[in-house]
Amino acid sequence: MKLDPLSIPYRAGESVLRLAWLLVVLVVGSAFEGAAGPAFVVVGGFVVAAAYQVVYYQRFEYELTHDSLDIASGVVSRRNREIPVGRVQNVDVSRNVVQRLFGIAEIRLETAGGSSTEASLKCVSLAEARRLQEEIGRLTRGEQSADAPATDREREGLFAITPKELALLGVVGVDLRLLSLLTVVLTVLAPSLQERFADPLLGLVITAPLAAVAVVGLTASVSGALAVTNYYGFRLSRGADELHYERGLLQRFSGTIPMEKVQTLAVSENAIARRLGYASLAVETAGPAAGDAGQQSAIPLAERDRVVELARSVAAFDRLEFERPPGRARQRYAVRYGAVAALVVLGVFAADRATTLPFAWYAAAVLLPAAPVAAHLKWANLGYDVQPEYVVLREGFWTRTTTVVPYYRVQTVLDSRTVFQRRRDLATLVVDTAGTSGLTGGQPRALDIDAERAADLRRTVADRLQAELARRRDERRRERIRSIESAAPDAAA
Amino acid sequence: MDTDADGATDGPFDDALTPAVRAVPDDGTVEGGVAGPGPGDVTELTGPRRTLDPGIQVVWVLKGVVPSLVLGGIVGVAFALLPVGSPGVGAAVALVAFVLSAVLSVLRYRSWAYEVREDSLYLERGVITHVRTVAPYVRIQHVDASRGPIERAFGLASTVVYTAGSRGADVSIPGLSPADAEDLQARLKRLAIAAEGEDAV
Repeated sequence: MKLDPLSIPYRAGESVLRLAWLLVVLVVGSAFEGAAGPAFVVVGGFVVAAAYQVVYYQRFEYELTHDSLDIASGVVSRRNREIPVGRVQNVDVSRNVVQRLFGIAEIRLETAGGSSTEASLKCVSLAEARRLQEEIGRLTRGEQSADAPATDREREGLFAITPKELALLGVVGVDLRLLSLLTVVLTVLAPSLQERFADPLLGLVITAPLAAVAVVGLTASVSGALAVTNYYGFRLSRGADELHYERGLLQRFSGTIPMEKVQTLAVSENAIARRLGYASLAVETAGPAAGDAGQQSAIPLAERDRVVELARSVAAFDRLEFERPPGRARQRYAVRYGAVAALVVLGVFAADRATTLPFAWYAAAVLLPAAPVAAHLKWANLGYDVQPEYVVLREGFWTRTTTVVPYYRVQTVLDSRTVFQRRRDLATLVVDTAGTSGLTGGQPRALDIDAERAADLRRTVADRLQAELARRRDERRRERIRSIESAAPDAAA
Repeated sequence: MDTDADGATDGPFDDALTPAVRAVPDDGTVEGGVAGPGPGDVTELTGPRRTLDPGIQVVWVLKGVVPSLVLGGIVGVAFALLPVGSPGVGAAVALVAFVLSAVLSVLRYRSWAYEVREDSLYLERGVITHVRTVAPYVRIQHVDASRGPIERAFGLASTVVYTAGSRGADVSIPGLSPADAEDLQARLKRLAIAAEGEDAV
C-alpha cells in the first residue's frame, strides 16, 4: 500500500515551514529587493520539496500482513522493517488542523523497545488510518481478520468529559507549589523592594499574597486554555480487550491501548483536585519515555469515586485500604523540614545583615512551625496496600499519586535503606515495572516503611510474581490442550 | 546480618509456589551453553551467596584518584586567588578526599554480595544506602559481560543484566574474574531461557 497522495503537498509544505527561519534571515539580510525575492524563495523551495516528496511517496510502501506490519521506505538509503503486530504497544492516530482539512491522518506505532516512536505513517487517509488501527488491534488479540468490519460500533463508552470537568481541569492544572513559594518569597522581599522604589504604588507589594494570587490566576488561565485544546471532546471507550480514546480541539488524537499491554494504573490528585473530590487516571504501557504528554492519560479529570471505579474495571483490584508507615517516619520528616526551615531563616538573616537592603527575615520564621505540619501532611499521604493480585502504593501531598501495580508486571523489586533510614529502622521498597512513568514521574515505591516489613514485602512481591507466572503458564497449557481436543473431532469428521 | 541469605522460599507464600523454571529440553534451544553443567537441570545452575573478587577494591581505590585530584585542584586554585589561606589547602583536600574514597571502596566491597537463585538473581550492596534487589529471570532482556580499562589491567570483568524496567542497567555485578563473568553470563542466559518469559514486559 502507498500513503495518501495528499501527503505529498502536506509534507512539502511542512518542510518549507521548517525552513522558515532561512527565509527570515534572507528578508532581514535583504539579499533581494522587495517582496519578489522571498516569494521566489518560498515557491522555489516548495517546488523542490514537492519533487522530493513525490519520490518519497513513490518509494514508500507498507503492508499489513497477518502477523506483521512491513514498511519499505527511504529515498536514498532504503530501509525495510517488519514490526511484529504482537509487539505493538499502542497505535495512535493524530490529525492537526491542516491534516483534517485534507482528510488525512498520521499514524504512530509504539513498541516497547527503542527510545522513540517505532514507526509513523505520514500520512494516510482517515479511513485507512481507522482500518489499520482496527486491524492491528484485532491481530494483536489473535482474531482472524475482517470477519466483522466496524467493530468500533461494539465499543462500550466508559467516559466522556463534560464541559464542567473541562473547566475544572484548567483550575486544577495550576501548580500550588508556585503559590506557596511566591507567598513566602514576596513577603520576605517586600521591605527591600519598597526601599528600592519609594513609590506609593509599590505599597501594593506589601500585599504580596495578592500578587501571588494574580500570578496564579494568570497560570490558571494558560493551563485552562491548554486543557481545553488538549482534552476537548475527550472520550474513552472500551472495545474487545482494548481501550480507545479520542481528544483534542484543534489537533485530534485518537489511540488504542491493548489491555494486554497495560503495565500499571496511576490515580493522581493534586491538592486542589483532592479538595474538590476529583482525580485523574493514567494508564501506563511499556514504551519510549513520555513522548506525547497525556498520551497515556485515560481520564483527565473526573470525580474520584468514578475514577477508582473505572480503574477497577481495567484492573480488578479490591477496595483500597492503606497501611501507613510507622510514626517514626513522620518524626524523620519533621526533623528534615525543621532543619531546612532553620537554614532558610539563617540564610535570609545573613542576607539582611550582609547587604544594605532590608529583608523581613523574621517573616521567614513562619517556616519553623510549618515544618511539623508539612511532615504530618507528607506522612498522612503515604500508604501501601498489599492485595492478592496487586500492590498499591501511594505517595505525595501536592500531587498524590496512587499506583496500582499487578504482580505480574513487576520487573525488579528492591528495598533500600539510607543512613538516616537505618537510624530509625526504616526502608523504602521500590517496585519497578516497564511502565514509562511519564505522567507520574519516578517509580512506584513505599517510602519509609518498617525495615523488616520492607524485606518481607520484597520477598512477597517476588514470590507472588512467580506464582502469577506459574498460574498463567498453566492456563495457557490448558487452553492449548482444549484447542487440540476441540480440533480433533473436526479432523475425524 | 540478613535473614534473606537462606534462599527465595522463605516468604509467607512458599506453600503455593512452583518455581518459574522448567527443565530445558535438550533439543538445541540453548546454544553455546559454555562452562555450565549439562543441560536438563537448572538447579545445577544456581549457586550459593557469593562475594566479589577482592581485587575490585584496588580498582575502586584507583578510580577515586582522579576525582580527588580534580577536587583538590579546584580548591587549590580557589585558595590561590583568595587573599586568605594558601594553595596547600588543595593538597590536603585532595588527600582527605582520596582517603575517604579509599575507605568507601573497602566498605563497598564488603557490602557486596550476590546469589544466583532458582527463579531470580539476588543482589545486596551499598555503603551509605543499603540496597537489596531481586531481579527475576523471566524479566531479563539480555546479559552483557563488560570490561573497562582499569578492570582489564587487574584481570577483572563485570556482568550487566538488563531488564525492561525504568532502572534499566541497574543490575550490574562488578569485580568478577573473566571466567566467572562469562560463566555467570552463560548461566543467567540459560536460566532466563528456562524461565520462559512471554514478552518480558
